[in-house]
Amino acid sequence: MKHFSLKQGLSALLLAGTAITAAPALAQDSDTLVIARSMDVNSLDPSRAFCDTCQFYLTAVYETLVTLDADNKTLVPNLAESWEVNDDFTEFTFALKDATFADGSPVEASDVVWTFERLKNLKGSPSFLMDGLTGAEAVDAKTVKFTVEAPNAEFLNKVSAPYAGIINAEVAEANGAMAGEDAAEADKSEPWFLANSAGSGPFTLASYSPEAELRLAKNDAYWGTAPAFSEVVVTQIQDAVSQAQALETGQVDIAMQIDPDTAKSIRSGDVTTEIVPSFNFVYIGFIPGAKGMEEVLTPEVRQALALAIDYDGMLDFTVGGNGAKQAAPIPNGFPGTSGLTPREQDVEKAKEMLAAAGAEGLKLTAGYPNDNIYGVDFNIMMQKVQQDFAAVGVELELKPLTWAVWRDELGAGEWPVTAIYYAPDYYGSGQYIAYFAMIEGFPWVGRASVGKPELVVNPAEADLYAKALATSGAESEAAYTALGEEMMKDAIILPLVSPNLVLAYRNDIEGVRYSACCNLPLAEITRK
Amino acid sequence: MTRTPAAAPRASLSRAKAVWRTLRRLPPTARIGALILLFWAITVLTVHLWPIADPLAMVGRRLQPPSPDHWLGTDALGRDVFARTLRGAVWSIPIATVVVACAVALGSVLGALSGFYGGWTDSIVMRLVDVTLAFPPILLAMAVAAMLGPGLANASIAMVIVWWPIYARLMRAQVLEVREREHVEAAVAGGARGLRVLRVHILPLCWTPTLINATMDFGQVILLAASLSFIGLGATPPAPEWGSMISEGATRFYEWWIAFGPGMAILSVVLATSFLGDGLRDLFDRRSG
Repeated sequence: MKHFSLKQGLSALLLAGTAITAAPALAQDSDTLVIARSMDVNSLDPSRAFCDTCQFYLTAVYETLVTLDADNKTLVPNLAESWEVNDDFTEFTFALKDATFADGSPVEASDVVWTFERLKNLKGSPSFLMDGLTGAEAVDAKTVKFTVEAPNAEFLNKVSAPYAGIINAEVAEANGAMAGEDAAEADKSEPWFLANSAGSGPFTLASYSPEAELRLAKNDAYWGTAPAFSEVVVTQIQDAVSQAQALETGQVDIAMQIDPDTAKSIRSGDVTTEIVPSFNFVYIGFIPGAKGMEEVLTPEVRQALALAIDYDGMLDFTVGGNGAKQAAPIPNGFPGTSGLTPREQDVEKAKEMLAAAGAEGLKLTAGYPNDNIYGVDFNIMMQKVQQDFAAVGVELELKPLTWAVWRDELGAGEWPVTAIYYAPDYYGSGQYIAYFAMIEGFPWVGRASVGKPELVVNPAEADLYAKALATSGAESEAAYTALGEEMMKDAIILPLVSPNLVLAYRNDIEGVRYSACCNLPLAEITRK
Repeated sequence: MTRTPAAAPRASLSRAKAVWRTLRRLPPTARIGALILLFWAITVLTVHLWPIADPLAMVGRRLQPPSPDHWLGTDALGRDVFARTLRGAVWSIPIATVVVACAVALGSVLGALSGFYGGWTDSIVMRLVDVTLAFPPILLAMAVAAMLGPGLANASIAMVIVWWPIYARLMRAQVLEVREREHVEAAVAGGARGLRVLRVHILPLCWTPTLINATMDFGQVILLAASLSFIGLGATPPAPEWGSMISEGATRFYEWWIAFGPGMAILSVVLATSFLGDGLRDLFDRRSG
């Protein structure tokens, strides 16, 4: 997911201060779960939302047809009790359970069809999940069938993304939601979704005040096993250190964004911290289509620069060793990644390649958002890149930018190097191909080429991608491995670090885990 | 006031003596302030010769606490914080000097013209001043710097835009007052006209408050420059600018030494300039003291 909506600056700091003083005094022993987080909510409408906070909110309030098991690999039934897929991965049929929405009405095939059509037609950030959907049909009240235009073995994984949570069509329509072709313009329900919810999940939305608090209430009519807490409060606390303090004093039960360095400094015996690998990663991207770079940032030069980076040192400098190296822009542990070997630094070879390409004395500029993501301070990371490039004789000028300016300048090709990050929306490697691969029309081709796709498009990748989607198991994995290797050869996206994630919670809390689709499944959490 | 040209050099000599005599009456705090500023001035001029670490090189392990090798520890990239703090002066202090000088020059010229000519010149300049002063300084500086893009040059422009109106008002008020004095009337009666009256007969008597204010503002400008760098609108990495160093240290609560060096440096300059400014005001400008 592209998290472009992070709030920054002084106002956030001020609000963080008020959030600390305004939070409920003590969380222990109550049936309210309090979570500290810097929220990045862009919307609470499942078909429009696209943020880390949205992932666990939507999971708690709306339910998907299938979901990801705790092993972060296997798909298990959720609203669908079973499903069938035809041999060429173009037709998907789901049989629904006897579930009900929070208002007591049954979850029916028509709700599922309406939700998916709306997701597609709203053309919002998560609409890519429904790319290629050609048919959605309610066979009967409890059976629903979807058709996609080309084989897509990943469709099942896509519907496990929280943004594909099923909405109560009747309630939503009564409040202005639309699913038709013109939904992108006609649907006016976004404000309603900020104050109400219409899902079948274990919780409902009680209230949301931006930059302050997100409050969920137990769904008393829940059709499944009732959650342990009657209320969940996500309270806005901006930075890792403040979150750790709130956790130590017992103001909150869980802190979601503590980095490993801060975790080490927690001294309270009442707090448990676990460090787990994540599927998030930060990367630098090369933009050969940037102004004056067409002849300069050739594949050979990009390869040489990729060899100049000290990946082990990077891991140490950015996250104090609490992370992993990553070969291609597909996170470790996702299909096809076991066959990939991360790059190693080779200064001599990098120098030779640069000399052979006639690129001595190269000067580049890097524009990047001035932010701290997943515990990685981008300024520190880019200064390390700057030093590594300097060691092979390449001068890198750094331009830390606000998000708005960064976005503008990225689109205009102002600089040839950038840095950014990515987190998964569901378990499956296809989403990474769909975002990073050098296939005509894909997002990063647009970014890297700035209107001159012939600079970067790699013709081998489109066929491999089609093959990966038309097969399953080992065959599909092999195609993803080959795609990973091609993307490493492209050297447009250089993953630097996959930071570990800290699960930090009070000792009386159980069931906290990290999910690849859903971030933090709230309904599984209990108090001892 | 003498009108014999030959007497002028002697007059200015005795005036310098008078200034020196006055300066010797500076209170102790102001002297301390002057000494601190002298230290930083010497640092700026000679720090490249000092036997300290390269501020941009990784010279040790990262995040090491203060030790005999690294007096103020190392930062997240293993750079020596002590060396970076001293080198930071080369960024912060010249920038503050330039910004104050530009703001004084721009503000004083506009303020003097405005006060001297009055009429529509006055209206235009003063309304511009009002509009600029209507914004909180940090907000205006942020807006301008964000518009121009990050970088110290742009941050300096932003700060001059924020600061000049204060000097315009100050100079205008002085000029308005001095303009009515008898020696000016005498000069006009004697045939002096226009800018010559302003330059020769008015301005020399208007500088004191501006100088005092400039001294005090020097520290404020360093602070604002650091604030802009702190939020990423000023110096770009890896420059060892004080504000960006503090920003790097701010996210590391338990590695206090990263922000300590630059923090103390800023504190010392700001304190020194307000001590000195206060002292000067007590001496020269008793009305507002």
